[in-house]
Parts: sequence; C-alpha cells; structure tokens
Amino acid sequence: MSSPPKKRRRRTLRQVARGVRRRARRAAGGVRRVWRRSLQLRVVTSTMVISIAVVAVLGVFLMQQIISTTLEAKEQAAKSEAQSDRNAVLGYLSRPDADPANQPADSGEALQQGGGTPLSQALDALAQRAGSRYSVIIRNEDRPGESIGTTNIDEASIPPKQRDEMFKKAAGEDSIWYTKLFYKGQEPVQGMIIGTRLDTSGTVLDGAYEIYHLVPLDKEEQTLSSVQQKLIAVGAGLVLLLAMIASLVTRQVVTPVRLARQAAERLAAGRLDERLKVRGEDDLARLATSFNEMAANLALKIHQLEELSQVQRQFVSDVSHELRTPLTTVRMAADLLYDAREDFDPMASRSAELMQNQLNRFESMLADLLEISRYDAGAADLDVDSVDVRDVVLRAVADSEALAERHSTRFDLRLPGEPCMAEMDSRRVERILRNLLFNAIEHGEGREVIVSVGADRDAVAVAVRDHGVGLKPGEENMVFDRFWRADPSRARTIGGTGLGLAISREDAILHGGWLQAWGVQGEGSQFRLSLPRVSGTALRGSPLPLVPPEVEMRRTWRGHMTPMLLPALADGGRDVD
Amino acid sequence: MWTRRISWIGPGRGVGTVSLIIVLTWAGTACAVIPTGNKPIAVADARKGNPLGDPYARVIAMPPKDGWSPEKVVTGFRAAMASPDDPEREIARRYLTDAFAKQWNPKGDVTVYEHGEYEKFSSVQEDEGKARVTLKGDITAYIGQDGRYKPSGGPLNMPFSLVKGPNGWRISGGPEGLVLSESDVDHGYRPVDLYFLDSEWKGLVIDQVRVPIDPTANSAKTAVERLLQGPSSLLKGAVKTAFEPDTKLIDVTTEDNRVIIDLNKRVASDLIGPMAAQLAGTLSTLTKGGWGFRVEVNGESYYSDSSLQIEAQEQSAFDHWMTPRDIAPFYMSDGGLRLLTSEKIGQPVPGRAGEKDETRTYPAISDEKPARVAALSKGGKSISVASISAGGEWQEWATGESLTPPSWDRYDTLWTVNRPNDHTSVVIRHDRYNRQQYRVTAPELDTVYVKSLKIARDGVHVAVVVKDGAEEQVKIGTVVGQGSATRIDNLQSVVQGKAIKDIAWNDGKSLYVLTEKSELLEASVAAEAKPLPPDPRIQSITALDGSLLAGAKDDGKLQILYRTSAKWEELVKDEAGKPDFVENGPTSPVYPLG
Repeated sequence: MSSPPKKRRRRTLRQVARGVRRRARRAAGGVRRVWRRSLQLRVVTSTMVISIAVVAVLGVFLMQQIISTTLEAKEQAAKSEAQSDRNAVLGYLSRPDADPANQPADSGEALQQGGGTPLSQALDALAQRAGSRYSVIIRNEDRPGESIGTTNIDEASIPPKQRDEMFKKAAGEDSIWYTKLFYKGQEPVQGMIIGTRLDTSGTVLDGAYEIYHLVPLDKEEQTLSSVQQKLIAVGAGLVLLLAMIASLVTRQVVTPVRLARQAAERLAAGRLDERLKVRGEDDLARLATSFNEMAANLALKIHQLEELSQVQRQFVSDVSHELRTPLTTVRMAADLLYDAREDFDPMASRSAELMQNQLNRFESMLADLLEISRYDAGAADLDVDSVDVRDVVLRAVADSEALAERHSTRFDLRLPGEPCMAEMDSRRVERILRNLLFNAIEHGEGREVIVSVGADRDAVAVAVRDHGVGLKPGEENMVFDRFWRADPSRARTIGGTGLGLAISREDAILHGGWLQAWGVQGEGSQFRLSLPRVSGTALRGSPLPLVPPEVEMRRTWRGHMTPMLLPALADGGRDVD
Repeated sequence: MWTRRISWIGPGRGVGTVSLIIVLTWAGTACAVIPTGNKPIAVADARKGNPLGDPYARVIAMPPKDGWSPEKVVTGFRAAMASPDDPEREIARRYLTDAFAKQWNPKGDVTVYEHGEYEKFSSVQEDEGKARVTLKGDITAYIGQDGRYKPSGGPLNMPFSLVKGPNGWRISGGPEGLVLSESDVDHGYRPVDLYFLDSEWKGLVIDQVRVPIDPTANSAKTAVERLLQGPSSLLKGAVKTAFEPDTKLIDVTTEDNRVIIDLNKRVASDLIGPMAAQLAGTLSTLTKGGWGFRVEVNGESYYSDSSLQIEAQEQSAFDHWMTPRDIAPFYMSDGGLRLLTSEKIGQPVPGRAGEKDETRTYPAISDEKPARVAALSKGGKSISVASISAGGEWQEWATGESLTPPSWDRYDTLWTVNRPNDHTSVVIRHDRYNRQQYRVTAPELDTVYVKSLKIARDGVHVAVVVKDGAEEQVKIGTVVGQGSATRIDNLQSVVQGKAIKDIAWNDGKSLYVLTEKSELLEASVAAEAKPLPPDPRIQSITALDGSLLAGAKDDGKLQILYRTSAKWEELVKDEAGKPDFVENGPTSPVYPLG
C-alpha cells in the first residue's frame, strides 16, 4: 500500500533534485557567462573579496585589542581595589580590642563598639565602598560564622578550582578567574573573580581568611558587544563602499571601452561613419581619438577602393561599348572575307575562318562583359512571367543538342508529369540552363548528362548532373568566380568566356534563387538552380538535393557498414532509464 | 620636460596620500581620545534614594565542620540562624541532631539580645559525648512573625545541649525560634515603614516593622510585599488597606527614574488615590522622594489606555499631616491664647479665647477652619471649647471629678479621661459638635490612673501616661472604631519607671516624653526610647514633624524654647523684640492636634 506513493515520492524527489541540479547548473552557467563577460563584475568582486579579508583581519585585531585593553584596565582597577580592601579588612581584624581570637564565642560584645563582629564591620564598610560595582566574599572555614558576603552574591560563583589554585599560591597573591557570577534572585552574568588569601603575617590572626572580589563584567560585555556590532556594521559598510567605489571606477573605464567595442562592431558591420565621442584628454579619450582616426582612414581607403572599382567597372563597360563599333566594322569586313573564302587560297581561307571564329568569341565575350557590367552597375532588371520550367528546360536542351551531338553526349531528362509553373524571367533562366548544359557537355567527357526538374509548394529546381572529372574540394564556390578556370591548361572548346557561371549566379540571385554546385573528383558534378515559385519571396529550401541521390545513397550505405554501436548503446541506456 | 612632470604625477599623488595617512595617524594617536571641554548636564542636587536598596553585607551560612568544639558549633549555628540566605534555615538545621531538627521551628518569634556570651565555667562538660553551652546576655526585643519589633528587657539564658555524633558535635536541644544578636538583626532585617489608611481612607498610618532581608529580591520589592501582607498586630483592625486581600506583587523594577510596581490585580477604582499614597509612602524612605512610581498590572499598564503614574511630590497632598507645612504654634501668655507669627511675635487670637482668663490651662487646638481651642478649667473639673474666630465664646463640653488635659483628633472629636479616683479612669470622646459623648472601651485603662492621653495626628495611634500605684509608664496603643464602638487596644509600654510630666506626638511614629526630672525622651513602639538633650527649665512640650517646642520656666519667668540640633533657644520675642524670659510670659506652646 505504502510502496507506490513512496516510490512516487522518491521519483519526485529525484526529479526535484534533478530539476534543482539542472537549474543550478543553468544558473552557474549564467553566472559564469556573466563573470567571463563583465570586467566590472570581476573587478568589483575581487575588490570586495580583498576588502572583506582586510576588514576582517583588521576588525578581529582591533576587537581583540579593545577587549584586552578594556579587561586589562578593569582587572588592574579591580586588583588595586582588592588590595585596598584587603588592607581595610586586615585593619578591622587586627584591632587589638576586636581580635576575634580573644572572644571566640561572642559576636554581641562588639556591639558596644558599633555593631557586629570586626569581620562584619569590615564587610559593611566594603559593601558601602563596593556598591553595585562588585561583590566581596570573605570566608574562614575554620571559624564558625566568619563567612560573609555583600549584597546578593551567591557564594556558589566561586569555582572550586580557583580555591585550589589559591591555596597553592602564597598568601596575598591574586588568582584571577573569568567565570559566570551567580546572584540570588538575578540572572547570572559574566564576570571576574579575584581570589586572595589574606596575608596575615605579622598579626595574631590565622591565615585561613579567603577574600574574593567578584566583579561583574556585564557592562563591559555590553559595551564590547555593541562595539563589536558597530565594528561589523562599519566593516560591512566599508566593504560595500569599496565595492561601490570599485564599481564606479571600473564603470568609468568600462563604459568607454564598451562604447568603443560597440562602435567597432558597427564599424565591422559596415557603418563606416561610426565615431566615438571624445571627452577629456585621458587615455580613454586618446583611445577614442585613435579609433576615430582609424575609422576615418578605413572609410577613406574603402571609399577610394570603391571609387577605383567603380572607375574600373565604368572603364570595362566603356571599353566594351567602344570596342563594339570597330568590332561591327571588323565583323562586316570579316563576314565579307568569310563569305568569299572559297575564292582564296587555302591559307587565306583558313585565316578567314579563324578570324570568323575568334570574332564570334570576341563578340560573345564582349556581350558577357557588358552583361556583367550591367549587373555591377545594378542596372539589371527582371522581366517576370509565369512559365512552365519544363518548357524552359526543353528549350535550353534543344539549344544544346548540336553541341551535345558534337561531344556525342546524351541527355537524360527527368521531368515531372505535371507543369511546374513559376514566376521568372524565362530568357535569363534559359541562359542559366544553357550555360549549365554547355558546361556539363564540355566537362562531361561524353558521358550522359542528367537534367532533372523538381518542384514543391514554394520552389522549383533544376539540377544538371554530369559524370566528368568533377570538382576538387573547395572548387564548388570558385566555379562561380569570374574568368575562373578549372585547369588553366585546358583549351576552351566551346565559346566559354569565363563569365558564364558568374552571370548565371548573378541571374539566380536576381531571382531570389540559388545556384549551387556540387562535385567530387571522379564522380562528376551537379549544378542545381533553385527558384521561388513566386517572385520576391525568400527561398527556404530546394525540392532537389544538391548531392545526387545515388551518391548520397552510396555514402549512407557505407555509413551502415560502419559499426555504430556506441550511440545505439547510449540511446538504449536512456530508454531503460 | 613635460612628459617627465606628467610621469611624476602618479607617484607624487601616492606620496601625498601616504603623508596624509601618516599625519592622520599621528593626529589620531597624539590627540586625546576623550574630548576636553565641558558638557553641561543638569544634575539634580537632591541626593536620590536607591529603591533597590543600598549595599549590605550578609552572613553566609556555612555547614558545621567536623573538628569544631561545642562552642564553635553553637557559634556556627547562631551564624547560620542569622543568615538571610535560606528562609527555611536548612543549613542551620545541619547543626542540629536529626531529632531536634525535626521539632525545631525557626518561624516563631525572634529573640533579640545583646551582650551575649557563653557561660564560661559550665560550658564544657564533654564527658560521655555530651556537652552544654549556655548563651547569656540581655534580651532587648522580640520580633514577631508579622515583623513587629517589640522592645523588651530581661536577661537571656539560652542553654544549648549538644551530643557528639560521628561528624562532630551537634545540638540536641535548644531554644525554639531564632535567637539573634542585635548586630545580626541589623544585618538580617530592614526597618520598613508601612503606610496604611485610617478608617476614613483619608489619613495615612505608619506601621513600623522589620522585614527580613531577602537577597533574592530588592528592598522595594520586600517592602511592597510586606505592605500587601497587611498591618502588624499593633494596627490590625485599626487601619485599612486599599489592596484586595489576595493581591500579589509580581515584581518591582526601576526604569527611567521611576519605580515600576507590577501587581497581579487592580484595586477598587475609588481607592486608586489611597493606593498610590500607600505605595509612595512605603517606598519613600527608599526613594527619598527622588523617584516617581508606575503601577502595572500583570506587566501591562494599569488603565487600558494609559499608565498609572504616581508622582512622589503630589502624594504629600493626600494626607497633609504627613508633611505639615506653615503651621504656626499657639501658646498661652498672660492668660490668653496667642498665635506665634512668622516674626516670632505673639498675636492674640480672635474671640474670647484670646482674652485674659487665668483659669484655663492646657489648651488643645483642633484641625479645623476656623480652629477651636479646648482647655482645661476649674482645676481639672471641666473642659471648655471656644472657636478661634471673632465672637468665639467658651462653651463647657465636659465635666468630671478630675479630667486630663483635652486632646483633639483629626476627626475633630475631643478626647479626655475622667478619673473619679486613683485607680479608675474613664476615657471619653466627644463628637464634633458635642452632641454625643461616648465612653471609650479601654479595658487596660479602666483600673489605672491615666495621667494624660494624646491622640496622634494619624487618628489611630494613642499615647497614654498611666500611673499604676507608684509606677508611671507611657503606653502607645491604637484607636479602633468610631463613635460608640471606639476602643483603645494594643497598648504597649514604651517608657517605664519614670515620673512623666508631659507627652507630645511628633508624628505618627514618635512620641516625645518629658519626665519630672526634665529628661526628654523620644519613644516609639518599634525602638527603645532615645534620650534627647534635656533642659531643666522645661515644663511642657509640643511637637510637629521634627519641630519641638517647650514651655520653660526660669526663676518664675516664662518663655518658650525651641530645640535646635544640640541645644535649646528662646523663641518668642517680646515688645522690645528680644526673646527673653518674662513674667507672665509665653507658656504652654501647642501645635494643632497631637
């Protein structure tokens, strides 16, 4: 009956413990992070720790000094008082007419001289003298009735050990004990007892008189404890003050540093007009000045570079334009020559053909340069229309048929059955695809080129896969660089200008889509173009994998061959738990 | 240059700080910690009392030691009896054999003696383990269980029988109750004046008792505790108290110049004033007027919304006879009654009383406005009363064979004693307007000759001078009841064996007694009579709160003397402004009442 709730409770406890541990760990992590990140916290904490140590040491030392001084003064005063009291008692006891030895039985006789035995007279006098400052007890255990105390002191206050010690000492020597004093009808208080055997040498008295001075130290204790409290309060205040000072001082340093950091971050983010406020002439001000100078220089340089690049782009654009006119003339002349090549001798005919070829290439290069300079100038714009991607692909494939035949390359088209409509500039997309197909044919080494089209709710994608040499690691991005060449020694067989992929990527980006490359040496490569269905929306994913499915499958297969015992075990263990 | 300067700024500042610290430290050590100069504090000049009690020395009871002689054992027993430490006298019992310890009762009357000594010759009879020690001395008083201190006389003869046990000598027989020397009583008891109320709840009556010192409680607490227990046997029935019978004291503490009295229950609402007067009076000897009081009930304030504060000064108004002020004495001069003015010149009182009339003697003044004077006339056969106001005529109130001089009490009733013969006395009390006269029941006075009777100003104490045969003595008793139920009780002899000329109450506690031999004594129920500096010329006395006046006769000439600290001086100035003895001069001084 009782076991399930117990179990549940245990589990709850454990859960609670785990929760606490988790929370503690999280808090510790948070604290550690804050600790690592905040210079101010570190400085304040170390200041506090050090000042606590210093204040504690100082406070303990001071307190000890105060205590010992106070008690010493009290002890000295009490000792001298005890000495004079002893003298007084001795004076009373050794009066010739009042010697108790002469009248052992009679306490009434002395009445005639003023009341009581000499001892009680002495104690009366001592009681008057002592008041409430201290109490006196006189004892003589050998004599009946010679045990007298003042006011309400309880003789049980005297520790037997002190008595033993006193009897070991010579008469007249003090033995001082700190102990609790008991009073009749009062709470016991901390106090000091000075016990002495009465030095009766030179008198007829016996030496068994013990005199105890019981000095209550409750006032001292009160004073000392209030001093202690004040000391602790002052110490705590001091530590807090120091912490505040440290916090203030570090804030004076940390705040500009933090501002500088933020400014640097913004500067890094490209906001070159970011500047720090310069206040005063101190080190931080100089740091801010230097920072500002640096930022200004940086901005200037970047501006210069931008201008330079602008000039260069303009130059390229201008050059392209300017070359066009003479090129047209050259073209017309070349066309004439080319058309009349049948009439030339073979040497000249060959030259005319060559010139025609290179002029074609020159023209397309010039067109590409112009195109890319348009992109650089931000002048490119889209002519968006909703089209079926399959049609675009088929058109591009049809354009590439001739080249494919030349390379005896076969296309494998994997198109979905239903139309894949998407908003795009079909001319540009066709150009991208054409570019990809040309590249695939060129680097496919006559092997099959697979063109697959995929679509999902948000996006469409076209992947072009070849089985050529593939790409070296790291070349996946470099292929899109302008005038990049996989192997500089390789000849360009098709009219590649070195700008095709760069333009294609610019086109894809202009559509808000992706153009990505995958390639492994010996495996071939695959280029995937992903475009959003609706122009202007952000692309979240692609319907087609970047890595071809068969390669991925092979990789997974290899993975299955590898024993994966450890994670499996770990999972199993957690399940059991 | 500049960089150098700049680089020096840091250390320079450091040097400055260090030197500042050094200077401060030096200043801190060299200058006095305790400031000089004065700090004005208003200190009350009057020496304040200590309600918690002045320091005292007390005997600590010690158990007997094995090797002590019988005398030492008896001495130790006496010391243990004198120790206030344990009221049950447990340690004292350890001096006794088991059998005697069971029957010994320390709670009875305490015998007080002086000049104690052991009988030397018979003290040691140590044969066969038995001994006998006799304590001899003079008995001076007994202290009753109620704390009443009754001075007494007679020899002390206290035999202690001892037997030797395994642990030394033990007392097997001895006196019942405690036997203490006067010094032991001084150390173990405290005289306390308890203040009770008279039958009309208007006057304060002092009950002088001895309270054993309790080391576990302070003086004020013991005093108030004793007050709550009620009056001693002397005043039982004659006085009242504002406290309910089962009122208990929880504690007495001090705080802020105030004595806080914590009781367990409140008094009747109309008795708060009397209660305050009782408390303030009882504690006045301890506080000496320097402390106020606050009464709490079970640790909470007396009233639900405010505390009950009692100011000592205001309490003197409760009973003006406790601290009488500005009361001028009257006296006879040239056959007429005179009032002594502050210029020490006699002024004839208005009415018939101020006129010359040789027949009236022994005037007594009442406490009224206007006052009345009663005087003995016709050689003691009549008492007449006249109002001291314009047109006041003498009226005869009482007649008898031989009347004592009249005495007024605070209720304006007139007392006198008629003595038909030498061994019969009838105490008579006349009410305020002489409509009624009562015979006072006084069984102890019926068969003696009362020479004089004076009612004290508290209305309760009564002093009588009785003559039984040839012996005269002064007795102090109490007046119980009013009207026809009046009784004089508890008469206690305070002065014996002396021929008495006159008596006069000083206050509720002490009575001045003038003997025929011109001795002057201060008598009290709670102490032996104390002699005062005498003057052979004194014929009569009157007193009020420490001021003692005497009518004196020197060579047939009369004058009134007043007592300074050590001697007697002439008081009344004549027409020439000189205080001299003159023929038909001032005589028979009298203060109102007493």
